[in-house]
Amino acid sequence: MAAPLFLLAPPRSYTSLVNAMIGQHPQAFGLPELCMFVVDKLKEMWMPPTDPRIESQPTWAIHGFLRAVAEIYAGEQSAAAITMAHHWAIAREERSIASVYQELVAKIDPLISVEKSPIYTTSLKCMLSIREAFPDARFLHLVRHPVSQCKSVMSLNEGTFAKYVNSIEFTDTRAIIEPQIAWHDLNINILNFLDYVPKEQQLRMRGEDIIENPRHYLPIICRWLGIRDDEEAIDEMIHTERSPFACFGPFSALFGNDPAFLKGPTFRPHKVKIPSLDMPVPWRKDKKGLRPEVIAMAQEFGYK
Amino acid sequence: MSDLINEIKTTRKKIGISGSDERIADLSKLTPFQQSLRLATLREFQAKKIKKYVKKQVTQLNTKRRIAEEIKFLFDEHGQPSANMPIEDVVEERKQIENQIRWFEAITTELRNRLIKIKEIEDYALDLIGQKESDS
Repeated sequence: MAAPLFLLAPPRSYTSLVNAMIGQHPQAFGLPELCMFVVDKLKEMWMPPTDPRIESQPTWAIHGFLRAVAEIYAGEQSAAAITMAHHWAIAREERSIASVYQELVAKIDPLISVEKSPIYTTSLKCMLSIREAFPDARFLHLVRHPVSQCKSVMSLNEGTFAKYVNSIEFTDTRAIIEPQIAWHDLNINILNFLDYVPKEQQLRMRGEDIIENPRHYLPIICRWLGIRDDEEAIDEMIHTERSPFACFGPFSALFGNDPAFLKGPTFRPHKVKIPSLDMPVPWRKDKKGLRPEVIAMAQEFGYK
Repeated sequence: MSDLINEIKTTRKKIGISGSDERIADLSKLTPFQQSLRLATLREFQAKKIKKYVKKQVTQLNTKRRIAEEIKFLFDEHGQPSANMPIEDVVEERKQIENQIRWFEAITTELRNRLIKIKEIEDYALDLIGQKESDS
């Protein structure tokens, strides 16, 4: 069975685009956000979290899973195929997430399954569950400049993700939602997890580099994965809009990915403006900048 | 797995208030005052979210109300769509309104013609009166 690939990154780090790119390779299969490894059994995906301190995921968090099952088993994502996916899940509701995921990966085989669910990075347990289910899985750590990523997080539903992961800073008189804490701590989670993964099974890349020069960086990923890196394969990878998941799904499973990507999945290489690390950050009214820990980590990732 | 998590998580320092799971705040790291500040921020966030949602719903509701006004004639006095309202009835309604418009246009044209004639007679009469006054 082909070892799956997981993209590890905080949300808004070009994960949708890069996932679609790699998934479009003729020897790969790009999945939508399955968000499966946050639970232990399949039926728990339809239930509120067992720990009451964890906020429930929105109902659309299962859309990716339903669309994936529909596409893999029915070859389409019609309303009827989504109903079939529900039945497929009910028949397996008592099974562990690991065994269900293994079944999906086996069905896709010999294609390499490619998935990114940013929620996995919120907990070390999620990532360790992936490794336990797939000891030979590969992990691509995708990074994005903290200022751009945080700006993007704050522009989405008033920064609801930052709130979801308790990214809160305290001053003397108030608490404010500060997304750079999430950027730092989620990357810490990833780095801590990757310490536990053999070097040949992990790769780190800057999202900006791939966006700017895909014909240079995508072949590097291909060679690391041991798949074709010829021009024909790279051409196919650049057509992210051709993915069966690069659009909204049927009414009963509309999402499964970043809505912005679903609305405009076409990729055009472009130069990404990289902000300075020592300027005031745009989401703060008090003109403060990045924290020293965040700057140090960004520098470790190659940002200046 | 929990032993492994404990072993791994100590290698690097985090800056947030969460423990091994970012979704769970480790409240023991916070003073009671900070806990209150956190709660206030979360409530404010929720209130803003609800306010935005309600605003959006009201806008949609107003738009829907305007549309409803415009298509009112398709519904009965109880606001329900007429049972099996045939398209012929809609076409009939449209033709009737068009006929009424044509009828009113015809009346307007006729009245304009009559007005022109009356004005001509009025002008002629005024001219005659003017002539008689100058002769006498």
